[in-house]
Amino acid sequence: MKVGLPRALLFYYYDPLWQAFFHALDIETVTSGATTPHIVDNGVRNSVAEICVPIKIFCGHVVELLATDVDAVFIPRMITVEERKRFCPKFLGLPDMMRYTVPGLEGRLLDPDIQCRQESLADAQDYESLAKMLGKSGREVKRAFAVASEQWEVFRRYHRSGMNIDEAMAALNKKENPVYEPPKNEKRLTIAVLGYVYNIYDSFVGMDIIKKLRLMGADVVTFEMLDDGSVAEKLQRYSKTTPWTFTNKLLGAGYDFFEDPKIDGMIHVTAFGCGPDSMLGRLLEFIAVDHGKPFMTIRVDEHTGEAHLSTRVEAFTDMLRRKKFPVR
Amino acid sequence: MKVTFPYMGPVLAYKKLLEAVGHEVIMPQKPTQGTFDLATKYSPEFLCFPFKCLMGTYIEALEAGAEAIVTTGGDDNCRAGFYAEVHRRILASLGYNVQFFVIESLFKHPRDFIGSIRDLKGKYSWWHALGTIHFCYDLIAAMDRIQERIRILRAHEKNKGDFTRAWRDIEELFDTCYDRQDVRETEKKAWKILHSVPVELWDPKQAMRIGIVGEIYVTMEGHANQEIEETLAAMGVEVVNSQYVSHWLKQRLQILPWRKSHMEKIIAKAKPYLKLDLGGHEQENIAHMIDYWEKGLDGVIHLMPFACMPELVTQSIIPRISKDLGMPIVSLALDEQRGTANIQTRLEAFLDLAMGKKIRRAGVPGLAAR
Ligand code: SF4
Repeated sequence: MKVGLPRALLFYYYDPLWQAFFHALDIETVTSGATTPHIVDNGVRNSVAEICVPIKIFCGHVVELLATDVDAVFIPRMITVEERKRFCPKFLGLPDMMRYTVPGLEGRLLDPDIQCRQESLADAQDYESLAKMLGKSGREVKRAFAVASEQWEVFRRYHRSGMNIDEAMAALNKKENPVYEPPKNEKRLTIAVLGYVYNIYDSFVGMDIIKKLRLMGADVVTFEMLDDGSVAEKLQRYSKTTPWTFTNKLLGAGYDFFEDPKIDGMIHVTAFGCGPDSMLGRLLEFIAVDHGKPFMTIRVDEHTGEAHLSTRVEAFTDMLRRKKFPVR
Repeated sequence: MKVTFPYMGPVLAYKKLLEAVGHEVIMPQKPTQGTFDLATKYSPEFLCFPFKCLMGTYIEALEAGAEAIVTTGGDDNCRAGFYAEVHRRILASLGYNVQFFVIESLFKHPRDFIGSIRDLKGKYSWWHALGTIHFCYDLIAAMDRIQERIRILRAHEKNKGDFTRAWRDIEELFDTCYDRQDVRETEKKAWKILHSVPVELWDPKQAMRIGIVGEIYVTMEGHANQEIEETLAAMGVEVVNSQYVSHWLKQRLQILPWRKSHMEKIIAKAKPYLKLDLGGHEQENIAHMIDYWEKGLDGVIHLMPFACMPELVTQSIIPRISKDLGMPIVSLALDEQRGTANIQTRLEAFLDLAMGKKIRRAGVPGLAAR
């Protein structure tokens, strides 16, 4: 059996886990390539017009994989990975939506329900139905989950040590990791970049914003680098948190970053059509005002050009630098 | 305390409920263009349409003297569960000093639910509060029954606007109810009024009947859906609407486990299309589409606020459902800026299709002439 993994949405968070999982079961995997304009076009063609860009991109990757010889495309139904929070509704309906919109997917879809209380999926319970889909035994699947969550914990530890996702993935695969050399610049800045992993790390959407900022002499921090514990603790003080897992992580990270005196400014990268971000964005604006810190939103759609992003990022860093190092 | 609440569904009953526990009510006004203007000005651009409508309604009510807002919370994962939090912050930033009573789900957060009822009922006894809730439920259910009938009859009214006027009179009668006995008597009077409205004679086999499903706010509120029901009635189309507050309450408050509601029975039909509910009424909507087709309706209109997250998933699946059933379904996204022209064109195309299907399905010759 050969399983296709779309390089989109939670790929950037869970890929090491699923790779290890299928590897432990001796199942071959194929991952779609980096997002290209062609993939985006295919996604747009097979999606309803108003849906958010990341879902369109996901759809494009599914089309891409179906054109290969994979037996099934893996689209887990991500429901919960922590208590009381769920994923954005589009994740809950993702396999159904894909099944009925992408021609040829019916019959080649692997869509287990993921309903856990731990982010590492270490407490996954429903082995049997997944085992049936994969033609394995429940025990084998259970063991594969154990191996996979361990591997994923290693990946997360890399994050917390300050690596971004690209770096952590490289470290995990023992690839040569081009050590990031901060350019020599006396007037260094630290900027927090907030956004879902599939917006920041998909170079089509995020346009390598992290690299760009570093070239401009700024150190970058992201939410994955924070300890989940500290995020949860920050949020406890607020009466009500958002209903969605990752939105909530961003909100918690936002509080954390705004309070952190080391951080000079914050950029929120959001995709056109994102529902949760329409609320998160407003809350972040309020918090920014409360803390008197510079804050900028970059909203990306399928037509946004690289030049637009570069100009805005440059203007923002210039402004921060003038603020931090005033010329007398 | 002067309280207000969202303009949605049977506002009259909410007023009764709050007045019965000693609050002065500032009635929310049916949103107008002015409300939408306020809404757009003070809401984040990409928030959904119902959020904006409430934003505008709240500001108008606060300007009219309201000091507190009663609304629902809930931690379903649609944005509505988080509305109150964002409304509160925005209103505070505009300088309004307003208290929010957010009623959480009784079953998921029993303590919070009871807490908010306690705050609201103040010095009144629980007995009194429960009695009032029961009375209001009866009131809502009675009004829903009348409206359900009007949606069918209105397609055949002799003089345009008669049923709208009749409904206004009926509402006024219900406004004078103070206990369950009053509700029973008033409902009888209401039926009399309805039956006295002159209608054309019609052949039930020939009349077009269309179901409306969708997100609860835009489906229930004429101001949010460009009065689509009136448009349909004027074209002689009977309407079956899937959203009624009394149905919603009945399902939520159903505590006898062996009494399955109609909804639970039909929801199985939706599962092959959508395995889980996404936080709104998606499975219900799909179940209704299938149920309506089986009951012989001629088509379904799906209404959703522009970019509504869960309903976008439904919208994605609709072409397939429509194909499997062979039933025309049109999905319309609504917001404060969309013009009526586009909706009108799509509605007409849809009705043509439904009419064609009807003629073929029933083989009613008389229809072709219409
Ligand atoms: S969180 Fe936003 S961007 Fe992500 S799937 Fe949901 S609506 Fe789309």
